[in-house]
Amino acid sequence: MFTRRRLLLTSLAATALPFSGQLALAEGFAAIQSEAKGQTVYFNAWAGSDTINAYIAWAGEQVKARYGVTVEHVKITDTGEVVKRVRDEVAAGKADGSVDLVWINGENFRAMKSDKLLYGPWSESLPNYAFVDIEGKPTTRQDFSESVDGLEAPWGMAQLTFFADGAKVPNPPRSMAELRAFAEANPGRVSYPAPPDFHGTTFVKQALYESVISPDVFATPGDGSLYTSYGPGLDAMLDGLHKFFWREGKQFPKSQADVTNMVADGELLIGITFNPNEPANLVAAGRMPATTVAWQHAKGTIGNTHFVAIPVNAKAKAAAQVFANFLLSPEAQAKKNDLKVWGDPTVLAVAKLSESEAKLFTATPAPGSVSLAGPALLEPHASWVPLLEAAWLSRYGKG
Amino acid sequence: MLPVKQVAGASLLMLLFVVPLGLGFVLLGPGIFDGASFTALFQHPQFFGAIGLTLFTGLVSTGLALLLAVAIVMGTVPRLLSGSGVLLALPHLALALGLGFVLAPTGLLARLFVGGETPPNWEMVQDPAGFGLIVALVLKETPFLIWAMVAVLESDELRLRYRQEMLAARSMGHGPGSSFLKVVLPQVLPRITWPLVAVFSYGLTVVDMALVIGPAQPPTLAQLLWTDLNDGETSANGRGAAGTLLLTALTGLLLLGIWALTKLMRPKLRFLLTTPARPEWGATSLGKWFWAGLILVYSAIILALMLQSVSLHWPYPDILAQQFSTKAWQNVAQNLSPLLVSLGLAIATSCAALLAVVVWFETQNERRDRVMLVAAVLVLCVPALMIALGQYRLLLTLGMTGTLTGLFIAHLLPVVAYVFVMLHGPYRAYDKRWKAASAGLGVAGVGFLRKVKWPMLYKPLLSTLAVGFAVSVVQFIPAQLAAAGRFSTLPMEAVTLSSGGNRALISVYGLMLMLLPLIGFLVASRLTRSRWQDA
Repeated sequence: MFTRRRLLLTSLAATALPFSGQLALAEGFAAIQSEAKGQTVYFNAWAGSDTINAYIAWAGEQVKARYGVTVEHVKITDTGEVVKRVRDEVAAGKADGSVDLVWINGENFRAMKSDKLLYGPWSESLPNYAFVDIEGKPTTRQDFSESVDGLEAPWGMAQLTFFADGAKVPNPPRSMAELRAFAEANPGRVSYPAPPDFHGTTFVKQALYESVISPDVFATPGDGSLYTSYGPGLDAMLDGLHKFFWREGKQFPKSQADVTNMVADGELLIGITFNPNEPANLVAAGRMPATTVAWQHAKGTIGNTHFVAIPVNAKAKAAAQVFANFLLSPEAQAKKNDLKVWGDPTVLAVAKLSESEAKLFTATPAPGSVSLAGPALLEPHASWVPLLEAAWLSRYGKG
Repeated sequence: MLPVKQVAGASLLMLLFVVPLGLGFVLLGPGIFDGASFTALFQHPQFFGAIGLTLFTGLVSTGLALLLAVAIVMGTVPRLLSGSGVLLALPHLALALGLGFVLAPTGLLARLFVGGETPPNWEMVQDPAGFGLIVALVLKETPFLIWAMVAVLESDELRLRYRQEMLAARSMGHGPGSSFLKVVLPQVLPRITWPLVAVFSYGLTVVDMALVIGPAQPPTLAQLLWTDLNDGETSANGRGAAGTLLLTALTGLLLLGIWALTKLMRPKLRFLLTTPARPEWGATSLGKWFWAGLILVYSAIILALMLQSVSLHWPYPDILAQQFSTKAWQNVAQNLSPLLVSLGLAIATSCAALLAVVVWFETQNERRDRVMLVAAVLVLCVPALMIALGQYRLLLTLGMTGTLTGLFIAHLLPVVAYVFVMLHGPYRAYDKRWKAASAGLGVAGVGFLRKVKWPMLYKPLLSTLAVGFAVSVVQFIPAQLAAAGRFSTLPMEAVTLSSGGNRALISVYGLMLMLLPLIGFLVASRLTRSRWQDA
């Protein structure tokens, strides 16, 4: 209830903004833009995908040409590394930090926010923030139930999505119960990455949601005693799935990338991803067949937003904001939304855009794009994550 | 006996190695080793399973690698062995990935020999007992031990003596196999003690290979603490640090235990050397078979990597992919700077390390080697992440993160450790009487080193340089931390680009990582062609 009321208030504020604050905002941002000229943004972002790397390179070229801002993509494997690096640098009193902008969300955002490692608030003052769909996409202001408070700018949307070769899986299972029936008919051919890989943790969260009548209870903080009332239901659901899973649920693949390769090879039948368009990207890259299908559970799957944030000791704070603002522009968001480029869903409200801008977002489905969509469900409160992971590890982590 | 010369000679290695190492440990701080972290570690549900797996995989892999290496060196025409450098050049990670492509239920083996609609139910990769990891470790460490043994056998100083002793043993009725086992091996083993220690420590603390091919539920201890140390949460980092301390202590205790055991057993095993001569003990064919097997497996792995590097969708049970593409290779070709950074760093660090170590040997009494050996073994035993974190803290304090100097220092530590460990045996085995003889002929000082000693030792010197080069090329963790996003090296590029699971890219970078050390080893082995045991 609390969050809903808050959202209402902020959406009112956002609609009021164009009249009162837009001018002052534009002036303030002009100053930031002139300061940014000639600065270099070291953008620390996961680099495991060719398409994403190419998109970042394109965006860098654009801000170089338009605003004189240089973008260096610092390729990383795990955002946790960046959190640690900033923490170490701040502890060592390093004022000109090595990170200017970081691609982030969830646990890592919460850790940086609570350790005061983030610069801000700044994101809601970006001119292009006015187009963000804060009403329709509440996760743009609540990152895993942690209030964003202007400390990070939304960049794209994610939702738990499953995929398979449609030639082998003609009727995709659209609930945990159907998945169990599917696994029973195809023993040993389904699995998920072991938590704390976040895809694995999300699979467990999804099972938790589907083991209760209404998942609303998980929006509020959980603790050990609360967990005991929901744990047995989850255990029963997972036990029922695991006995028909890969290696009888005694072993699990180590990462989402492993699962994807096992699906491409044919060892497993169903893959799991957080980017609804990753299956289409895999088809385009030639790593999955053209018969690939993607789907979400009928009653919905867990969804969230990913962001960019500026560390407190960043050297090029102005240029980082200029780059973040460009990433939020209708042009950059439309290009990112394009399946041929990356296929990352936009955080903007297309209704807030001009007609010509809105046209950029007309999506053409490609082989592998989501054909059976479900609604996005909010992440459980962050306090449930350690409870779920610890319980999973002691129950299923010993082989 | 000039103290000035000694101090100056020691200062180079001290400055480049011991001081940064020590400061790194100091800077890691007592703060992270607290009681709560240890309690959390012991309460980790996977802790005891992980300890068991670590011991099992580490001990079995080291034992098997030593047995195989001895059998191969004993039984193989040494000319063939110069190829061990080629095998050495394949990086750990690439080997594990390639072996996975061979052994997995959807791998080359199953495609070639099983077939059928659905892949077989094999558990050879990421199997719960860790056999996949053991196979990978044995494959990786056997060539290293062969290389170390050949380096000892090949030093000019010892080559003649071994040859004479082998001939003497043969004339007393021993076969070539038994003369090797009874005459040569007992003299070689003590000289490869430190390479063996390196192998054993590596087996206990390996992370990258274990992540690819090792068990998962539970994992090995090193994987467990790797996950913790990389976590964004400080409490998990503390648990990881406690685990690192424990793993280091465990490695140290095991090494001490093995050392004590060999001390105790030595008098009791002496009878083995005096058993009657066995002329029929050729054992040559067995060693040759092992060697051929090793070459075959490596070839299959490299072939698998090459195939994967150009393959797109390649479903089971197809023998070849449905589509091919050179996109992954183009990716490397368009981005050459990581290659050049890695090459430059490898040349700089291996030369600097060799110089510092030789200066140490020339100016210091042999008794002082222990200090360096302890430091070197510490670098090899303590999980690489911990050493790298210490170095990173040091660079951060000095304001040197994100600089080439910082990168150089971060790469230097493991290189010095390997160079010292590899060179210690052959260099200290050099017969000191040569010096007196040369002095008598009027050649002394630097002239003696340049004209007599180093030419005689050039084989172990070159081999060591090649190993140092290879060690530098594959460093990932120190590079990633010290570079602070300002530079990219080949392994950094490889690891970050492959985190999306794109096998073509992973394979290309695996092969690229092999290419640089391969050149080094080929040059070294070309110049150090084996001549011992020509009989």
